[in-house]
Amino acid sequence: MRTASHYARGVPISAAFTRDDDEAARLARRILEAASAGDAHAEAEFCRQFAPRIRLFGLKRLRSEAAAADLVQDVLMLVLQKLRAGAVHEPERIASFVLGTARQLCIDARRNGGRRQRLLDSFSLDLEPAATPELHAPDEARLQHCLQALPERERAVLIMTFYDDCPAETLGAQMGLSTGNVRVIRHRGLKHLRDCLVGSGGAT
Amino acid sequence: MTPHVHDSELDSKLLSYWLDELDETQASEVEEHLFACEGCAARLRELLDLRNAVRAALRDSRFAAVVTPAFVRRLQAAGLRLREYHLLPGGSVPCTFAPTDDFVVSHLHAPLAGVRQVDLVYDDGYSQHRAPHLPFDASAEEVTVIPPVAMLRNLGTATHRMRLFAVTPSSERLLGEYTFNHEPWSST
Repeated sequence: MRTASHYARGVPISAAFTRDDDEAARLARRILEAASAGDAHAEAEFCRQFAPRIRLFGLKRLRSEAAAADLVQDVLMLVLQKLRAGAVHEPERIASFVLGTARQLCIDARRNGGRRQRLLDSFSLDLEPAATPELHAPDEARLQHCLQALPERERAVLIMTFYDDCPAETLGAQMGLSTGNVRVIRHRGLKHLRDCLVGSGGAT
Repeated sequence: MTPHVHDSELDSKLLSYWLDELDETQASEVEEHLFACEGCAARLRELLDLRNAVRAALRDSRFAAVVTPAFVRRLQAAGLRLREYHLLPGGSVPCTFAPTDDFVVSHLHAPLAGVRQVDLVYDDGYSQHRAPHLPFDASAEEVTVIPPVAMLRNLGTATHRMRLFAVTPSSERLLGEYTFNHEPWSST
């Protein structure tokens, strides 16, 4: 298990996680091999895998559900077009290719308003992103209990962070605390809240 | 898949990413990983669902919260309707909660310079509840309390008191007592 000390010692963040992109690479190869004949099952599975990740990326960059949903469609259309056309040369790096496409489309978004509709008009596959919001929404009463049971500072930091995605530096300045102190309180509060929600703690 | 990182460490790293706290290289690494790892992407979605649920609970004012004056301004900027009461130490105020209010905010002014720990004692006339170690900004010279709307909505005529104490390891000192004379909302 890796801990915060790994980050402090300069271990790359990527080394702290496992990866599971073999499945995505396998799907990409199937779509490449099918070429223009198409492999509907592989394409659908490919969309199922990547739509939620592109949506997250879109939410982070664009801070809009509607814009993120548009981005999901645009990215999947372009990537599937490239795969069908045999224009992806490293299917084992398909996740990076999808991310690169998403980044580029975010940059291009303002410049190419009409491009999106042209792509949509020429594409027959159903690219509607999977409906994922609130999949893990906690029970309301339990959440209320767990929030109320948190120490005051942890509850305050969590709600002021979550309310409008306030970073630690800004919040620290408003609370008279250092950025590091806010992060420590936030980390503890989140852990206590999680533990309480799954029933392994009374919040503290 | 199961992330190799302890869940709470992963949450903190993902939250830092989401809040734009990482430098460009770190953020790019996390982004790359989220595209290659379904488990971590799911964990981030779960974290955002929790964030949304906390936001909803706050909007419904289902729990008491001690916040900062800056946070109150953020609520105002978002268009929420606030009924605010400013009290000096020893002060009292007639108060109510209107059906159109989103929140009631109590600004408890107090001399906080040099104070390390502030505790709040809430007295509803029947019982007392102590909330230790409140968040506060000494330079603002106030503690800002948002009581739960659900409690206020059902409250009849009542007198509630809040007391702030400056606490040290060996003693405590009363900073101020604040009295709220509540009446149910009347439109006339």
